Amino acid sequence: MHTAKGVLTAQHGRRIYILAILTLFLFVLLFLDIFLGSVTIAPSEVINAFFGNGDSNIATIVLKFRLPKAITAILVGMALSMSGLQMQTFFRNPMAGPYVLGVSSGASLGVAIVIMGFYSGIAPADLMTLGNWVLTLAAWLGAGAVMILIMAISVRIKDVMTILIIGIMLASGLSAVVSILQYFSNETMLKAYVVWTMGSLGNLSSGQLKVLAITVITGIILSIFLIKVLNALQMGENYASSVGVNIRMARVIVFACSCILAGSVTAFCGPIGFIGIAIPHIVRNLFRTSDHKILVPGSIITGGVVMLLCDIISQLPGSDRVLPVNSVTALVGIPVVIWIVIRNKKISGISDE
Amino acid sequence: MNENNEILLSFDSLRLGYGTKELLPPVSAAAARGELVAVIGRNGIGKSTLLRTLLGLQPALGGKILIGGRDLKELSGIQKARRIGYISTEMVRVSNMTVFDLVTFGRFPHTNWIGRIDKDSCLAVNDAIMKTGLGGFEKRYISSLSDGERQRAMIARILAQDTDILIMDEPTAFLDIVNKFDIIKLMLSLSKEGKTIIFSTHDLSIAVNQADKIWMMLEDKIVEGAPEDLALDGSFGSLFKSATVSFDTNEGTFKLKTESYNSIFIEGEGGIYNWTRKALGRIGWSVSSVPTEPYIIVPSTGRGKWILEFQEKQQYFDSLYDLTRSFKVGFRIDHL
Repeated sequence: MHTAKGVLTAQHGRRIYILAILTLFLFVLLFLDIFLGSVTIAPSEVINAFFGNGDSNIATIVLKFRLPKAITAILVGMALSMSGLQMQTFFRNPMAGPYVLGVSSGASLGVAIVIMGFYSGIAPADLMTLGNWVLTLAAWLGAGAVMILIMAISVRIKDVMTILIIGIMLASGLSAVVSILQYFSNETMLKAYVVWTMGSLGNLSSGQLKVLAITVITGIILSIFLIKVLNALQMGENYASSVGVNIRMARVIVFACSCILAGSVTAFCGPIGFIGIAIPHIVRNLFRTSDHKILVPGSIITGGVVMLLCDIISQLPGSDRVLPVNSVTALVGIPVVIWIVIRNKKISGISDE
Repeated sequence: MNENNEILLSFDSLRLGYGTKELLPPVSAAAARGELVAVIGRNGIGKSTLLRTLLGLQPALGGKILIGGRDLKELSGIQKARRIGYISTEMVRVSNMTVFDLVTFGRFPHTNWIGRIDKDSCLAVNDAIMKTGLGGFEKRYISSLSDGERQRAMIARILAQDTDILIMDEPTAFLDIVNKFDIIKLMLSLSKEGKTIIFSTHDLSIAVNQADKIWMMLEDKIVEGAPEDLALDGSFGSLFKSATVSFDTNEGTFKLKTESYNSIFIEGEGGIYNWTRKALGRIGWSVSSVPTEPYIIVPSTGRGKWILEFQEKQQYFDSLYDLTRSFKVGFRIDHL
């Protein structure tokens, strides 16, 4: 007899296998990211640096620069792809993501107000000691404000492309506000802000990395508890509610979680685009499933892998030049986004309510 | 009380609507265990609103809903979900979702915090898939299913939910006739197993011929009863205010109102007689109980010819099409 259980285990086995390979990739790329850089360091010296022997300059490069940067890359990739997955499920919109919906721009505005607005009278040195939590909170608030706006719009408009266009308009509007802020801010603050907008994984102080790690890990733990609710939400609110989900509560928690993840990353690394929208798609097609028990860990690990890869590319191994990381993520992510748009051309929405 | 007569769902003085806009005066009705209840009424009267309110998807403006004797308001979301399953008119279009995943979704109120599918859930899912005739479809993606298959998968999903009340909004809309009857047959067999199924439909012949009970939503009330009761007391006649549709009490069907131009006597019996009468009714001729001139003699077998007799002259017709055609263009008596 045909048993559902047999089917379940066969599919399950394949998925575990893919997850294991991705995890392996994550570690391989983590080591590569540490080994490769503008200064060529022999692998043996890198290993020595970890164990406290060898050249102290090399140890500084490896432990103070490369390792924190690689960890940042992993955290950023995990947070953005998880945030993107949540938004796509939440809005039932394959084009949703923190960057395209303007959520990252909202966070940017929050940061811009903190950097250029309140602090423009303060010396640049103070910028470094500026409260990391203040910056994070400002980013969360900015992200949250945009999310509320998009949510209000999506209640009335179900068309995926319309919401996307509104998101892009929102992002442009927010950049305009930021430009005005730039116009009125002093030169040093302006420079600090412009550098920030280019997106960087390597400029975090250890205090900032700590804040980023705490918020991202909190967001990811929350995401794991949201797996069941996300599975229900993708069926649409009526069906989710009919199986016992408290919709209002679910909305608030998913919303908060996704803002915390996207906002924290934006606060410290600048607006990094296209990871949030592209990774969940890659994961869905890799695992061929809609089950968030697979999609959540899949997105987290794939996000880390792709972000490490982008970081390796951005430092152009062997040369002393470094590309802005958000240019690399854009070049990696945009083809995926175009592919989604073309594939979804026939349907204007996942739901036809 | 006899278990078969147990009222599973009832509502009393229920007020339906959105915000301050009330759709109907307070309404009441009930459904017993194992009943197939059809909700009918004109477009926009509030069939979906009624179903959504019974599920608690939208608040009632007043009145009381009892589920298995308990007030709906007292039940938590999960408790409700263990008693009532729901299929809306909204089509589920989730990419990369398999039939198995979809049916598994029904286990939501029964699984742990992360939604682990344990042995019991797996059995329930398997059972639901088998009952709906979807064995072998587990790995198929729902995007590749036909409308009928998808609807069966949706039913499998609420079977896996293991509730004794199923609420379905237009479960046979968009289906072709074979799939439509497939779904109805499935619903009938589920109701025989003791599930109470409340479904809205526009298909009045399904409602009249298959439902155990009808809730007929009118502008001012809900009339409930067996379809035959509603036919006999003339309730069906009041369903449509429109001048174009009427209920034929004898045939038990709704039809376009046609003006009877004339009546004619038909000689014959059996199925061919009935179909001949139906064909003439369609073009506005009623059957006369007294002999007329001309009159029709129906063939005794399907191979025979229809005879239109007028003053002992006969005209022969090979089919009802030819016969009705000649009525439409007018008799050519001179040929007879």
